Amino acid sequence: MKSPAVLKMALLPGLMFASALATAAPVKIALVETLSGPQAATGLTYRAAVRYAVERINADGGWHGEPLELLEYDNQGGPAGAADKLKAAISDGAQIVVQGASSAIGGQITEDVRKWDLRNPGRELIYLNVGAEAQALTGDKCQFYHFRVAGNAPMRVNALVAGMKQDQALGSKVYAINQNYSWGQDMEQAIVDGAAAGGYTVVEKTLHDVGKIQDFSPYVNKIAASHADTVMTGNWGSDLLLLMKAAKTAGLKARFGTVYLDQPGNIANAGDVALGNYVAQTFNPEAAGEAGAAFMQDYRAKTGHEPTFIEPQTVFGMLLVGEALRQVPAGDGKLDVRKLALALEQASIETPMGKLSMRAQDHQALLPLAVSVVSRDAKYKADGTDMGFKPVKRFTAEEAAVPAQASCRMQRPD
Amino acid sequence: MEQLATPLLNGVIYGLLLFMVSAGLTLIFGMMGILNFAHASFYMLGAYFAYALQDVFGFWPAIIVSPLLVGVVGILVERYILRRVHRFGHAHELLITFGLSFIIVELVKLFFGNYPVNYRVPASLDFAAFTMGSLDYPAYRLFMGIVAIGMFVAIYLLLSRTRVGIVVRSAIHRPKMAEALGHNVPRVFMGVFGVGAAMAGLAGAVAGAFYTTSPNMALELGVLVFVVVVIGGLGSLEGAMLASLLIGIVTSVAVGIDASLADFMALFGAGDLAREIGGILVLKVSSLAASLPFALMLLVLLVRPSGLMGDKE
Repeated sequence: MKSPAVLKMALLPGLMFASALATAAPVKIALVETLSGPQAATGLTYRAAVRYAVERINADGGWHGEPLELLEYDNQGGPAGAADKLKAAISDGAQIVVQGASSAIGGQITEDVRKWDLRNPGRELIYLNVGAEAQALTGDKCQFYHFRVAGNAPMRVNALVAGMKQDQALGSKVYAINQNYSWGQDMEQAIVDGAAAGGYTVVEKTLHDVGKIQDFSPYVNKIAASHADTVMTGNWGSDLLLLMKAAKTAGLKARFGTVYLDQPGNIANAGDVALGNYVAQTFNPEAAGEAGAAFMQDYRAKTGHEPTFIEPQTVFGMLLVGEALRQVPAGDGKLDVRKLALALEQASIETPMGKLSMRAQDHQALLPLAVSVVSRDAKYKADGTDMGFKPVKRFTAEEAAVPAQASCRMQRPD
Repeated sequence: MEQLATPLLNGVIYGLLLFMVSAGLTLIFGMMGILNFAHASFYMLGAYFAYALQDVFGFWPAIIVSPLLVGVVGILVERYILRRVHRFGHAHELLITFGLSFIIVELVKLFFGNYPVNYRVPASLDFAAFTMGSLDYPAYRLFMGIVAIGMFVAIYLLLSRTRVGIVVRSAIHRPKMAEALGHNVPRVFMGVFGVGAAMAGLAGAVAGAFYTTSPNMALELGVLVFVVVVIGGLGSLEGAMLASLLIGIVTSVAVGIDASLADFMALFGAGDLAREIGGILVLKVSSLAASLPFALMLLVLLVRPSGLMGDKE
């Protein structure tokens, strides 16, 4: 990382030149993430990815030669903290807000941004959602200045079903177990909706409390009693790990179809338990070939670790914003956020996984996906183990897309 | 039969684990009147120490040495931190243990990282003890249960049958009198604090391998341990045992119950009405399993504020 002093030095001549034309402030991007507390691990991962992406956009010339400035705020893991820090970000002059961990926080931010934009025409904000995957954000709550560059439950489930079916690992009986909040409920609905296309029946559905359960063995008994072939779950963190470990120690013969198995630490902690289970990913370096290898190498060189979990989607989403910025004319030196939003609707870039673009209708990104299985044959190993994610099926953005929700009635400016 | 037997057995074992952690908490409270917020952090430390030591010594020595180390940490905490703030009253003691729990978590993150670490059940214990229905019953679960019962018996005998136990009990009950009789009460307090911490450490060392060893493990278990102590009665070892088993069994069995309040109301012909109202009336018991201990705590506090086995005050 460059030190701020060096950055300022590099900025100085440009600033002196610009000030003759207009008082141009740099475009400020505010990261409002969980940087402390028990959920900090995820927030810090988002931060690493956003830092990397901003550096890369700036290396490519930022916005008309002027580097973007990244501001970081700690939302302390809750919507209340996020609302506070959003106000701070606005008063610091941020024009783009980035957040990803937790759909509950995402819901708060999108609502606050919508109200602010309504009340302050000409001083709008964009909320770039890099990871809050709840359906409501592109459904009931969809709004013009919210853009999601992550997946969502039906996209992940459809891909998972197709990938596991191709590998003949799906079977005909599926058990849905999810966390009891917006994301888990979306997952459950998506698993039920995918039954016809996947040719399976959902034998049982379970919703459980988030992050409170140490002992998953009672749930494993329930799964065993249902004689399911596959367990599908949107669980993350300890809820995923403990569930899989409990299933393994009980000798449960079902496969797992997951969304977040590639969270750092999971493979190391689960060990052999993870083998043979599936995950729907937004990036798999092996599937992405040479471009993937180059991205892995560059990311490791800049951040010290390889991109996994939500990092690739965050980087690609930010680069999409970088591309949209290029389409917005410099004007009087101040970024017109409305024009940026319109440009972002049309933006598309080539990522190592394939084409990534934004759907104007509901502001859900159309992104490529990969379904992978945990295997010792994988080219890239995870967590320093001898296991990794071997891709079994790739989906282009078009193949992975699901239609926009009817509940999204977006109010467009003019 | 096995539909009920497995959840019951699971519940008992989980309850025994809860007991291992809450035993120390309730002992410390009973003696010193300190609600130790850092107690679950000792549980986490036990797991991390065992994880760090197993590479050097192997699994078995690690789970023996780790609780001893945690006990030493506990003693140091009592001697150099708690004793200093003791004269400022309970509120200060409470706050300092609260702060300590944050510091321990951050230290653990500093040394071991943000993510779960690779601490697993050793191969020698990674087998099925027996098969119930279509599922294996892991031997390690039985091992956890045996360790917990062994610990309960040892502590109970120590307190009720030995000279040390008499001194400890008298120091708890009438500290001034015990001191007048020539016993070093502060040292007894220090010892009990250390033993309490070591018990939590043992629980962590044993359970960390089976569940996960992560910086969140203290937080995940910590709240539940307080619930156990409140339900059982602050300061009562037997109460902690009873409450742990109760919570373990209730949460485990509730997972299998798919009924909701609406089904109950249907018995009176109001099922459709309840389903129309929705909300809490159609929530399945199974989805509430992890919240039931808190409901139980509320009930106990309303009906019997001193807890199941607590002394009446």
